[in-house]
Amino acid sequence: MSLQKIFCCLIALAAAGSLAAQELTINVSGTVSDAETGETLIGATIYSGASASGTSANEYGFYSLTLPQGNDSIDIEFSYVGFQPVIRKVLPNEDIQLNIELGTGVQLVEVTVKANSYQESIRSTEMSVEELSTKEVKVIPAFLGETDILKTIQLKPGIPSGSEGVTGLFVRGGSNDQNLIILDEAVVYNANHLFGFFSTFNTDAIKDLKLYKGGFPAQYGGRLSSVIDVRMKEGNNRKFSGAGGIGLITSRLTLEGPIQKEKSSFIVSGRRTYVDIFTRQINRRNEDDPDYNPIPDYYFYDLNTKVNFTLGEKDRLFLSGYFGRDVFGFDGDFFDFDFFWGNATGTARWNHVFSPKLFANTTFTYSNYEYNIKTKVEGFSFEVGSDVRDANLKTDFYYAMNNDHTMRFGGNVTHHTFGVARLQAGSDDGEVNFSSGDDYTGTSFGFYGGDEMSIGTHWKINAGLRLSGFVNDGNVDVGIEPRLAALYNVNPDLSFKGSYARMYQYLHLIATDGIALPTDIWYPTTEQIRPQRSDQVALGFEYLLNDRFLLTNEYYYKWIDRKVAFVDGAQLFANNDIEGEFAIGEGYGYGMELGIEKQEGDLTGWVGYTLSIARLENFKEINGLRDFSTETRFAPRYDRRHDISLVLMYELSRRITLSGTAVYGSGDRAWLPPGRFTFQDAWGGEASSVTPVYGDRNNIRLPFFFRTDLGLIYKLFPNWGESDLTLSIFNLTNRRNAFFLFIEPEFEEGLNPDGFPVEVPTRIVAKQVSLFPILGSLTWNFKF
Amino acid sequence: MKNLICLYCCVFVALLFSCGNLEQEIELELPPYESQIVVECYLIPGQPMTLLLTKSAAYFDPLPTENFEFLERILEDSAEVAIRHNGVTYEMRNELFFNATTSKLFNYVNPELVPEEFENDFFLNIKTKDGREITSQTRLLPVVPIDSVVVEFNEEQDTLARVLTYLPEDPSTDNYYRRMLHEGSLDSIPEQDFTTNDDFVDDEQLVFGSGFDFKEGDIVINSIFHIDREYFDFLESVFFAIDANGNPFGQPAAINSNVEGDAIGIFTGLSVDRVVTVVEK
Repeated sequence: MSLQKIFCCLIALAAAGSLAAQELTINVSGTVSDAETGETLIGATIYSGASASGTSANEYGFYSLTLPQGNDSIDIEFSYVGFQPVIRKVLPNEDIQLNIELGTGVQLVEVTVKANSYQESIRSTEMSVEELSTKEVKVIPAFLGETDILKTIQLKPGIPSGSEGVTGLFVRGGSNDQNLIILDEAVVYNANHLFGFFSTFNTDAIKDLKLYKGGFPAQYGGRLSSVIDVRMKEGNNRKFSGAGGIGLITSRLTLEGPIQKEKSSFIVSGRRTYVDIFTRQINRRNEDDPDYNPIPDYYFYDLNTKVNFTLGEKDRLFLSGYFGRDVFGFDGDFFDFDFFWGNATGTARWNHVFSPKLFANTTFTYSNYEYNIKTKVEGFSFEVGSDVRDANLKTDFYYAMNNDHTMRFGGNVTHHTFGVARLQAGSDDGEVNFSSGDDYTGTSFGFYGGDEMSIGTHWKINAGLRLSGFVNDGNVDVGIEPRLAALYNVNPDLSFKGSYARMYQYLHLIATDGIALPTDIWYPTTEQIRPQRSDQVALGFEYLLNDRFLLTNEYYYKWIDRKVAFVDGAQLFANNDIEGEFAIGEGYGYGMELGIEKQEGDLTGWVGYTLSIARLENFKEINGLRDFSTETRFAPRYDRRHDISLVLMYELSRRITLSGTAVYGSGDRAWLPPGRFTFQDAWGGEASSVTPVYGDRNNIRLPFFFRTDLGLIYKLFPNWGESDLTLSIFNLTNRRNAFFLFIEPEFEEGLNPDGFPVEVPTRIVAKQVSLFPILGSLTWNFKF
Repeated sequence: MKNLICLYCCVFVALLFSCGNLEQEIELELPPYESQIVVECYLIPGQPMTLLLTKSAAYFDPLPTENFEFLERILEDSAEVAIRHNGVTYEMRNELFFNATTSKLFNYVNPELVPEEFENDFFLNIKTKDGREITSQTRLLPVVPIDSVVVEFNEEQDTLARVLTYLPEDPSTDNYYRRMLHEGSLDSIPEQDFTTNDDFVDDEQLVFGSGFDFKEGDIVINSIFHIDREYFDFLESVFFAIDANGNPFGQPAAINSNVEGDAIGIFTGLSVDRVVTVVEK
């Protein structure tokens, strides 16, 4: 059946659904927010027992509930985990706008609230989704005390991390470049600080994170493997407040408050590392020591800001921005080095409620990622930099025809500008000069429509279609991306789900097979480098056990076409012919994810198990000047067969909360040389008696990974607000997990045929390098 | 502030202490590896034809500690080796030859001097004692002469000088170079040794510089090898292979050889211009 026919069928089904639902109804619509701060509560549950119908607030906090028209009052319950539910009596004789505020308080009914929330999840066609709130993130033990929402999401099933301690995400056999990370709808191209040991997201400024591993709704596109939607807080519009912390390596401060009470608010949040302050002192004290090697400066900082204005009953305006930089520098007698990298994003968002059924969100975003390296060595200067800049206009409509039928449609256009490896080098006197690098532009677009409807009492489908494309230098690539999700609701506690999604990726990350670097840059689709494509099917079920535990089990298979990799020895840095380094191939991944979670009560947490197999194959070089030597099928580095994670949080008393995590994973893959040869003319004119011969890629599996972390939060109750001391113990068992392996000879002094002393290899040994032993940290957090 | 610094330093020292022993030896089983023939042959106009024929080994094969045993283990002897050029075949004798100037050892030699001829290819044919056949071909490139070598003393520390080496560059062709800079003698460890191409050159002159590393009276030997793309790729791949083993940021690479058959290695011509300069004010 052609795509056109499928689309016609979907429209016909939608029309049938709407006709079936034509009875006299009214709509209750509005927002659900936190009474203390005014923050909208995404996913809050709205339920009417009388009509046995419910809905949930969308990602903008907006809800629309359809009720049968009548003259008898009915109760509507609004609930959200951690808040006291509110029941409002309404007379359903006309459309009603009802903005609800939920307050915290005694959590006597938390089990019911959570059960409602789980049942809403069971009723939803959404699958392959993981969510995290910053409340959870702040309790879970953190590396060096730095809570990190991207690292915490790695503890969920199906999202194994990359190397030890690194924030890279490898979702369902996908690679790290296949994740769309958006902050308030603006793309964040490099979400890492310090080679990925920390993410760019300051937990104090973040409201929540939602990660799609599959079953992608039609409004998302642009990456193959996941969508990570991070939303910033809006700012407290009730009262001025602040929060912050002093940790081992960073300090942070967040201030928020009303600009005009209950109408508008602001939030400003910043953090900065301060190791450099101390290393500078150490350098200064040793500046007279001729044998002392100064420690280079390194620091990073983030600044998040947001303001929002309620312009009336129907309009809200949000302006938000993020700016972060890593700065690494060295100032020596003959050698200066300055290296910075970072993201900047800006979002202007307008929410408009056209009617109780129709809601619109229009957004303009700007994203920039750049790095720049300046080096000066004894009269020579060298400067290289790359950047990617996006200006994006996007509009989304949400139409709630009734409780059983909602539609989404919209589109976006993004203009991309890429500066790739702009290099300028030369001597100060101008005698020596050379340069390289290119600028590219491109425009990507996506238009979509999605329709979610119930069919009978048990079935619900969400069908969508996305038309995406990329225009670059006269080259046009267009992709049709069908999306389908179906739900069979056996009873309120059990549902089976299935989904299919096709995704196109028009931007490609130029990066080595090794650890993510700030110099990894993005490159557009061109005539030779076609868009990457994936198709994913997933099947699974959700089961609410004993009203307390949500059990999820999913199976998936993913095909990847035109997967981008790089030839052997690819020269990715300052290369004028970068396309010659690409190799294009295919891949697939399949697996199973099993999770059980409990989010209410004193003891909360989850257990997740992931079985995952990923393979790549049939890679061909673009121009054949260099080889992609592995001709057979091979496993990617991030092919982690088994992954088990356990997260527990226990509120021992009003003062003390304990938490613990344990992660076990099969080792990642490594590419090690099975052979060696002697070569006389290696660099420096010296013989290399042990020159590695690399065979097929990723031919070794690293030893298994295991780590246990513990956390303890001790709450203090000062007069001026709240504060706590957070103790984190990272890698409690002090296990040496492999960061990477290498093989090297051990040498002894010997003589060459001419009688000169030389180093003679005597033994070859394999070694494992680990990064982190047991590490403790203490952080003081406060809130006023 | 002082106390805070002390406290912070103590924490860091404690961290560093606990970070000890983060590198450890492990047992590792590598995939099976079949030994290959390794060819290393550089044709230098005006010098005898020499070639080194060795065998690669599995990475964990034991390493003999005695030199003669080491050579016996790696050298591939009793092969038929010939180089053909302009209709003339040069048979190579299987005997050890040590070039004391470059500290390089070869096990196949023909005393005939490599002709200085740039129009026609040289062909290499090897037949090993177990019947493996290896072939390759290459062509000599003309020397790119060094235009000038300029010594500049540092304005701030006038006892130290740098050396700028100028050579002409033909923008109409893709050129590859290996640049070596020795101090004192050619058998010393070079101050600089790298390959480059002319991608980044904007005009018709190429300049290599050095740091302010030289004193008055130092002897600086500038060598510019005009090399072909195959040798450039081979050296780069060797560099990547060595660098990637033990470097988590590295990009492993298969060796990019220009020999055909069950072998790895390089058969290339070396056209070098060399200028010796005494550093003077």
